[in-house]
Amino acid sequence: MNNLLFFLSLIAIGFVVGTLAEKRHYRSIHEREKKLLYLPAVTMKTVINPDKKIASAELVYGSAVISIDYFKRFLASLRNIFGGTVKSYESLIDRARREALIRMKEMAGDATVIVNVRIETSTIGRSANRKGVGCLEAIAYGTAMTLEK
Amino acid sequence: MKYTIRQAGSNVNVTPTSPLREFFLLTAGLLGGVIGIYILLGLAVDLIVPRISTDLENKMGRLFIRSIEAKDMDSQRKSYIRSLLEDLQERCAQLPYSIKVHIRQASTVNAAALPAGHIIVYTGLLDKVASENELAFVLAHEMGHFAHRDHLRGMGRAFVFITISTLLFGTDSSISKMLAHGLNITEMSFSRKQETRADEFALETLHCNYGHVAGATDFFEKISKVEDPGKFGHYFASHPERRKRISHLENIIRSREFKLGRRDPLPKTWRQLKD
Repeated sequence: MNNLLFFLSLIAIGFVVGTLAEKRHYRSIHEREKKLLYLPAVTMKTVINPDKKIASAELVYGSAVISIDYFKRFLASLRNIFGGTVKSYESLIDRARREALIRMKEMAGDATVIVNVRIETSTIGRSANRKGVGCLEAIAYGTAMTLEK
Repeated sequence: MKYTIRQAGSNVNVTPTSPLREFFLLTAGLLGGVIGIYILLGLAVDLIVPRISTDLENKMGRLFIRSIEAKDMDSQRKSYIRSLLEDLQERCAQLPYSIKVHIRQASTVNAAALPAGHIIVYTGLLDKVASENELAFVLAHEMGHFAHRDHLRGMGRAFVFITISTLLFGTDSSISKMLAHGLNITEMSFSRKQETRADEFALETLHCNYGHVAGATDFFEKISKVEDPGKFGHYFASHPERRKRISHLENIIRSREFKLGRRDPLPKTWRQLKD
């Protein structure tokens, strides 16, 4: 019985704290995305602009590591039984990707455009459904180009 | 091609969902599945019990026996009960078990049949009985449970778990031991039908051993006078149909024309034999 209470309180804590943290993170993501809108990040290998010369081109990258909480983990393990989309992890991956993109843009500073953007994800601590902490890392990288004015 | 600055309106990568709703839905599904399996296990008991060999049962008995023997009391009454049981078994009730008696100190007016022919008798019962016939009836009742293998069915679903783990992991595995410990074997429940059959068996045995059936209903009579049934163990307390059982026994006695003779007394030193 005690074990069950302990487990339930862990889930409740995971739910409350995890939801609050996620909401705050999304607010911050929206805000910073808006601020960085001036800097386009595209997957094209180059931007054709014959009028202007390229002043500089450098590698920029940003990475973010997001951890799952107890509630999300439990929800995902339930999903492991029944199958279906693991909705509880979707927002985690989304947050990680967007945070990485934002950080990459922040690294680019006052560049004109970031080309050849790639996003990769990896897991840190694979035993997410067993013991240990399951984390997700997203890394975004590209080439920041500054055109001559 | 013109690059237009704009922020994505909606997020297609995150399903708009209520995690709590999903949580309760999935948990309910899981619990439903577990309950379904639990019910199926209950049904499986009746299928499995007739197929259990005494050999396997003895193996399972070894799981419990250590914890039972640890509380065993080396009583002089025990040897008396043992010889009484041997008499009953030799003369009247041949069972494929070598029955072992264990006496436990408790006010519970109770006896219990455990796997592999172990009978637990509580001192509360020994203090209450007044004649040998009465004691013999209670013991024969437990033997009746052995004869019909109710003691395996009474363990219910836990029995299925234990059988499977004994077969898979053997008796020495920690899993089997853990299961055996977690299971309160003295909290077995028998159905009314099983109790009635055990009563009938006990009556037959009593008649065969003594030539008469005096003392058969003594115990029920005695207990039914007591106001608070909670004080007594499950043997009688969990038998709310006590009156019915008495009349059932009396009906059999009448229809089979069993005689009622003199009750054999307990040894004179019975009261002093207390531990």
